[in-house]
Amino acid sequence: QSDCTLVTAVSCHDIFDLQTGQSDSSPLAKGTAFAFIKAVQSVNERLVKLSEKQTLLFEVILLGKDCEEQAKSKIFDSAKYYLEIGKFCFCSKEKFERTLQENHVKLFLSSDRDDVHVPAALLCQQADQQVQNQLKVLFSGDLIGLTEDSTEYLKDLGFNDVQIHNFKAAKGRIQEFAMLIGEMRRRFGCEDSPLHTILMTVWGSRDICATALKTLRAWGLDVDEAFCLAGAPCTPILTVLQPHILWDDGLHN
Amino acid sequence: MSEIKNNEASPAPAGGASGAEKDWAEAKAAFDNLKSKKPRPPKPHTAVTIAVSSRTLFNMVEERKVWEQEGLERYVSYQQEHEEQPLKPGAAFPFVKALMTVNTRLRELYPEGEELFDIVLMTNNHAQVGVRLINSINHYDLLIERFCMTGGKSPIGYLKAYMTNLYLSKDSDKVQEAIEAGIAAATMFTPDMETELSETQLRVAFDGDAVLFSDESEIIVKQHGLDTFFEHERKNENKPLAQGPLKCFLEALGKLQKKFYAKNERLNCPIRTYLVTARSAASSGARVLKTLRSWGLEIDEALFLAGAPKGPLLQKIRPHIFFDDQMFHIEGAKELGTIAAHVPYGIGQKYHKGKLIEQLAKKS
Repeated sequence: QSDCTLVTAVSCHDIFDLQTGQSDSSPLAKGTAFAFIKAVQSVNERLVKLSEKQTLLFEVILLGKDCEEQAKSKIFDSAKYYLEIGKFCFCSKEKFERTLQENHVKLFLSSDRDDVHVPAALLCQQADQQVQNQLKVLFSGDLIGLTEDSTEYLKDLGFNDVQIHNFKAAKGRIQEFAMLIGEMRRRFGCEDSPLHTILMTVWGSRDICATALKTLRAWGLDVDEAFCLAGAPCTPILTVLQPHILWDDGLHN
Repeated sequence: MSEIKNNEASPAPAGGASGAEKDWAEAKAAFDNLKSKKPRPPKPHTAVTIAVSSRTLFNMVEERKVWEQEGLERYVSYQQEHEEQPLKPGAAFPFVKALMTVNTRLRELYPEGEELFDIVLMTNNHAQVGVRLINSINHYDLLIERFCMTGGKSPIGYLKAYMTNLYLSKDSDKVQEAIEAGIAAATMFTPDMETELSETQLRVAFDGDAVLFSDESEIIVKQHGLDTFFEHERKNENKPLAQGPLKCFLEALGKLQKKFYAKNERLNCPIRTYLVTARSAASSGARVLKTLRSWGLEIDEALFLAGAPKGPLLQKIRPHIFFDDQMFHIEGAKELGTIAAHVPYGIGQKYHKGKLIEQLAKKS
């Protein structure tokens, strides 16, 4: 595992449906993260096709927080059945944070908004589970476009100083992940890329959006699509976009 | 086509509607407090949303050449290299400025109003071209805060998501897709010469058949000739024509006009609509006027040309945009300096200068 590996951690609650009752022999039903893993595999396959000695790849770690022993073996077997997951980490809730650090996780994905110290993003439910040949990653323009001068509009939206400070910190933390995604994205051309990046500014003005575009560019990430909503509801647009990963650090709760 | 705004049943998941209200309230608060006091964009649900493509808003002929001759990658780098250079105005630029004028007047009369024009930049362009587009929008201080850069994907899904009332593009394929999806749309053409347009009044001119109305009567002309057409129209004078792709846009303009009338501004209304039709008033005009009346719509001026060319009349009207379904009329308008927009709808698409296109192809 080199410094270039984009280690992402996914909770087994999101890969498999652990709620519904299972017969002992059959593998677990697919969860929200399934489409994400499939899309990640497409990206890795294409990267390896470009260069066999590729080190810039996704690595997906399956995390199990406080799992029962029975569930563990079930998860193990099901994962092998469906996917090529490299690593499994079962840990307690207390050791969760440490496990993330120890495994150099660059992004933690969950369908819940968890409170962790590594960069975390929302795993989105895909309407169409079948077509997964493109991994779609969405970044919040309101956060990336945040500068010292532009925090006023967040205050006007009702966020306090502590929250705004946290958003600034989140922007700093996502840089590493964004840079790696940028490098990966550059391996492919404008068209026919298995990795697709999107910038969405929900509240900020067009200048916030422009700042966000330039910031990402400075980090080496040229996004494919950009949206500036100026307060228009984002759900209809997200329904069309169907991103796998949405990073906004809980801004749009 | 106005169903788009009324259809709240579409895509929002549970809690979506209240989430949208919350989003809206927060955005309203943010914009209201902006130090620059820039007017905030209206709620999409009540706004008249006009989506313009980058090539209609700005003149991108040079840039387009780069794309055609040197490919997409070179085009994107070219745009980045020229990022600080504002683009020159395009065919839809005067129209957009006129929409802004109307908004200013509406805000004076209704300071809290949400029934305004909302101009959205809807472009197929890669997001990297976005910086140059935003810089250009800033240069001209245009009232465009919402945009969609789809990086090559079809804009149709996003047009619906933004509740678009009218879509203008240079790409006739996209325009056709939009019309088929029930969105009013037209392909814009740059006039051959510049005309001085009103800076205080938005003027929109529409052809009748196959634009405001369906192409049912045009089919009769093409297939059975003028005499049959006149007879048919007389017989059916009191039967309203079916609606055409731009009817809902006329309706949206009418709603905004009424806001001025309500404040006693009828004589000074900054929106004026025109019907410019090849029909003749005496033999086939009544049905058209009665249809509009049955829809509860008003048009400020109805001009019946009885087959005469539209170009000279449009030169006098000087609309910011003229919609027609027949390329013959678009070309005539454009030659004399009118900003024309082609509506690719109906039987007129299969004909060129009165002759069936397939037959023309066979002859050559």
